[in-house]
Amino acid sequence: MNQVDTSPNAIANVNLRQVGKNKPRNDAPTKVYGKAIYAGDFYLEDMLFAKVLHSDRACANIKSVDTSAAKALAGVHSVLTADDLPATNAVMTDMPGQVGGGTKNTKQPILAKECVRFHGEPIALVAAESYELAQQALELIVVDYEETEGVYDAFEAQEPGSPIVYGDDNIVAAYKIRKGDIEKGFAEADYILENTFSSQYQEQAFLEPEAAVAWLDEHDILNIRSSTQVVEHFRAVADALGLPHNRVHLQAPYVGGGFGGKEVMTIEVWLALLAMDTKRPVKLIQTRENSFISHGPRHPFTFTHKTGVTKDGKITAMKIKATSDAGAYAKLSPYILLYATVGATGPYRVDNLWIDSTSAATNNLPTCAYRGFGTMQANTACEAQMEELAKLIGMDSLELRRKNFIQTGDPNTTGQIIRSSVWSDQCATKALEALGDRPENADHLVYGHGLACYQQSYGRIRWMKDTSESWVGLEMDGTLIVRCAVTDIGAGQMSALAQIAGEVLGVPMGEVTVYFGDGHVNPLAGTSTASRALYMTGKATELAAVNVRDNLLECMAEYFGVSAGELDLGDSKVFVLDNPERCMSTKEMAKHCAAQGVHRHSLEIYRAPPSEGLDPETGQGEVFPDFTYGAHAAKVSVDIDTGEVTVIKSVGAHDVGQSINLRAVEGQIEGSALMGQGFALSEELILEKGVLKNGSFSEYLIPTSEDVPEIESIVLESRSGLGPFGSKGIGEPVFAPVAASIVNAVADAIGTRIHDLPLTPEKVLAAVNAKQTQEAAE
Amino acid sequence: MLPPFELSQPQTLPEALRALAEDGGQPLAGGTNLFPDLRSGREKGDQFVSLALVEGLRYIKHTEQRITLGSGTTMSDIVHDPKMETAAPALAAAAKIFAGTMVRTAATIGGNVCCGSPSADTVPPLLTLAADVTLSSASGERTVPLDEFYTDYKKTVMKPDELLTSVSWAPPAPGSAHLFYKLARRKGDAITVTGVSVMIAADAGKCTTARVALGSVAPTVFRAHEAEDLLVGQALTPDLIEQAAKAAAHQCSPIDDIRATADYRLQTAHALTRRLITQAWKQVA
Ligand SMILES: Cc1cc2nc3c(=O)[nH]c(=O)nc-3n(C[C@H](O)[C@H](O)[C@H](O)COP(=O)(O)OP(=O)(O)OC[C@H]3O[C@@H](n4cnc5c(N)ncnc54)[C@H](O)[C@@H]3O)c2cc1C
Repeated sequence: MNQVDTSPNAIANVNLRQVGKNKPRNDAPTKVYGKAIYAGDFYLEDMLFAKVLHSDRACANIKSVDTSAAKALAGVHSVLTADDLPATNAVMTDMPGQVGGGTKNTKQPILAKECVRFHGEPIALVAAESYELAQQALELIVVDYEETEGVYDAFEAQEPGSPIVYGDDNIVAAYKIRKGDIEKGFAEADYILENTFSSQYQEQAFLEPEAAVAWLDEHDILNIRSSTQVVEHFRAVADALGLPHNRVHLQAPYVGGGFGGKEVMTIEVWLALLAMDTKRPVKLIQTRENSFISHGPRHPFTFTHKTGVTKDGKITAMKIKATSDAGAYAKLSPYILLYATVGATGPYRVDNLWIDSTSAATNNLPTCAYRGFGTMQANTACEAQMEELAKLIGMDSLELRRKNFIQTGDPNTTGQIIRSSVWSDQCATKALEALGDRPENADHLVYGHGLACYQQSYGRIRWMKDTSESWVGLEMDGTLIVRCAVTDIGAGQMSALAQIAGEVLGVPMGEVTVYFGDGHVNPLAGTSTASRALYMTGKATELAAVNVRDNLLECMAEYFGVSAGELDLGDSKVFVLDNPERCMSTKEMAKHCAAQGVHRHSLEIYRAPPSEGLDPETGQGEVFPDFTYGAHAAKVSVDIDTGEVTVIKSVGAHDVGQSINLRAVEGQIEGSALMGQGFALSEELILEKGVLKNGSFSEYLIPTSEDVPEIESIVLESRSGLGPFGSKGIGEPVFAPVAASIVNAVADAIGTRIHDLPLTPEKVLAAVNAKQTQEAAE
Repeated sequence: MLPPFELSQPQTLPEALRALAEDGGQPLAGGTNLFPDLRSGREKGDQFVSLALVEGLRYIKHTEQRITLGSGTTMSDIVHDPKMETAAPALAAAAKIFAGTMVRTAATIGGNVCCGSPSADTVPPLLTLAADVTLSSASGERTVPLDEFYTDYKKTVMKPDELLTSVSWAPPAPGSAHLFYKLARRKGDAITVTGVSVMIAADAGKCTTARVALGSVAPTVFRAHEAEDLLVGQALTPDLIEQAAKAAAHQCSPIDDIRATADYRLQTAHALTRRLITQAWKQVA
């Protein structure tokens, strides 16, 4: 769907041959035939198997760890505790990638020494001839714990006298936004509404648990093949072990899902230590039970919104307090809090704004990156508040949104001017239309429609000065190679690069070979996180391909006796635009150009637009490269006898800038429809005094295939993004509004709102009953 | 991790019964309860007798007097038997929403009945069919009404050397209604929070058969006999149905667990019993 776009970023119509089309992905056949090799599929000669002893309590002193019986077990080759590690015993869990890190206090012990601070904290590592032996050895390790008083609530953690988990005061990060005149804004309001919304822990639940193999090669280089979103972790592994960076080689084969859970280091350092100690290859695949406690789930957040609005629906002021539970270590909590702060106002322009946000440490599971990265939680709260505002002033909620949508050229929360297109209105209108009519309520079933919009960044925080590199080369036989160390985490990262290079150089994507995931033979691409992989690596690949194209066309222009601008590349040919009969196959062209000594390769770097950070007093400044906008709508039924919610239809409508592979875009929209549904309705890690109670897939409830509603994807293309061909990032954005739309649909159906997620049948039934009791009393 | 265990694989029923009697192993059918329980440590056994290769345990037999399922019949066998829609509509319904496709192809009816779980989904429909179970051992065979099979949470009258070999029931009266509702936290692969099955038959405007069974709301699945007694011989009015639903709820003794509170189970047992009897009465009247 193309509409006229007037934003300054928009690029003119181009004739795209592959980009934007519905194409089978290059990685599809190997995965469908079961040939794709994942990290856990590697076997090496003499390989040992590892197990990790995770703490089974959340807060305790370690009086002693006795490993003697484990060490004595035949077939056990290494048992490591904190005492065996380099004195620093620390691994960096800060934002990884091209920019290094260490800007925040985000070091975490590799193995617990004097105390454990959360359920799952690693205490000892074992390598043995088999998993069974390693497991036996684990059971022989005796840890003498002394339980201590912990803190398990982010608000209590900020009270004076609370047990201290982090720093002097448990405050992991705090931000404030002060913009306009908040008092004046409320004075101008006809109505003021205050609500508190809270959300829960969500587990990434990737299909492939953490898995890796580590070994020392014949050059004594430490190799690690790992299921990770970030091959740049080789630096953190090297630092943790005291090795030079060029002695650690980390590669990522296909990854069976990350969703942020494989963004900070998971098991790589443990295997590195065991491989160094035993001088043998060591492998670990986490069990599902241990996977639940081996990476950080989504932060529970509480948002208090106080909003002023005129009777015409103009928001005059917003005062927001946000609190997140960081758990026992900082990890990426400061950044996630920043995203939540910027995202707190949703896709709306608010000129009088006051935000205070805090992330506090507790003895709960350390929380970390998860698709949406704080923005999603913030948006879910904001979109609930918008519905309540509409109800309060008696206005259609889309109408209320229309009066407040941020527009191209407007300043956002931090005063950053939005440069790309903002098609919130078009997306919302189309999504709602696609829901169709609302069924009549019948017997015990009531129906509801819900809408949510969003603003979600793509690309990393700009003061990290993110870069990505890619290499494109035309072989002598006219085939194309891309080398780019992007990790392919299942969203089609690798295939998109084939399509982009193929588009620019006129070669079908299926004939392009992409070497990916290995930063030691391919140029480093940065992380597959932050909805940046397509944007950054795609842009670098586009730039490199354009360089090659320019070189080729310069040579071919001479051959055809025309100017380079009169030539085009497509369908494996070079041809004269005015007279396509005058052409040469790409194969012949490659040979011809090679004979002329034309440079047929290019290595390019793409640099995201930099910025210098926020003013600490006002929170004003430029945080992100750009934003994606869109909407999600949901139709639900609610059984008022049981509180069961059924999602009947789920519609995502998004301006993706330019879709690269339409099928892959739809895949992202469909996957996020379910992930958001799980967040809204059933997924929740349950912790009792920090101890996880439902770390299994029979008790942690992600939607199953039987829970899939009708899903519709509506893809709009403003071509106004910063990515290749005007694309925007979509991995996280398409997820951002889903849960909110379902939550709003339930509120619409039952006529009352539940303020804490997820909407379990029990909570829904209680809300229905409370409303009936209240109505009976009135 | 799955702990190590010993497995025997008899090919015939007598061999299997001998293995149970002499080696003291525990039967292993589809393993969809046993393996997760072994892995999590809830189950400690290390000696198993596999029923997978035992001949003559996996069959569905329809005669005019009786429908019989061999204990090795899987959930997908039930789903794919077109006659089950009339032979046991609620059982067919329960099998369709049982677990997910993968588990349905492995999970057996014998395992579901024998595991003794209060949330076993085929048990409420079997109870409202007034099904019997046949237990065999090296020393003989006996038939027990399913209603008398369970004694307490995960406890049954079955002896360690006995094997459940079949489940059977008389075909429902023509024109009767047999319903099942599974209330769970999601639609697939979910453990039942509240399960209700009813069987209602009527003649000349009066209820002639009333059976109500509830799952997940007490230590065992049970028949709500008090509720049934209120209904039989009566024309079912909303008031009477409400009384029966109340009586059924009264017989519940649910617990709080990670899926739901006792209070919620009680409320929904009440509401669903009322709903199912009402629906059934509409069908038969
Ligand atoms: C993902 C998943 C989803 C599930 N969903 C459901 C669901 O929706 N509804 C539901 O009710 N259950 C469900 N279950 C539980 C389980 O699948 C069922 O209880 C199943 O019917 C058990 O049968 P089985 O053949 O696998 O039994 P097994 O696990 O082999 O055995 C279960 C128990 O019964 C005993 N046993 C088995 N056969 C006999 C026999 N013939 N005689 C004597 N004792 C015997 C065994 O010794 C064992 O104690 C689920 C399980 C999983 C893993």
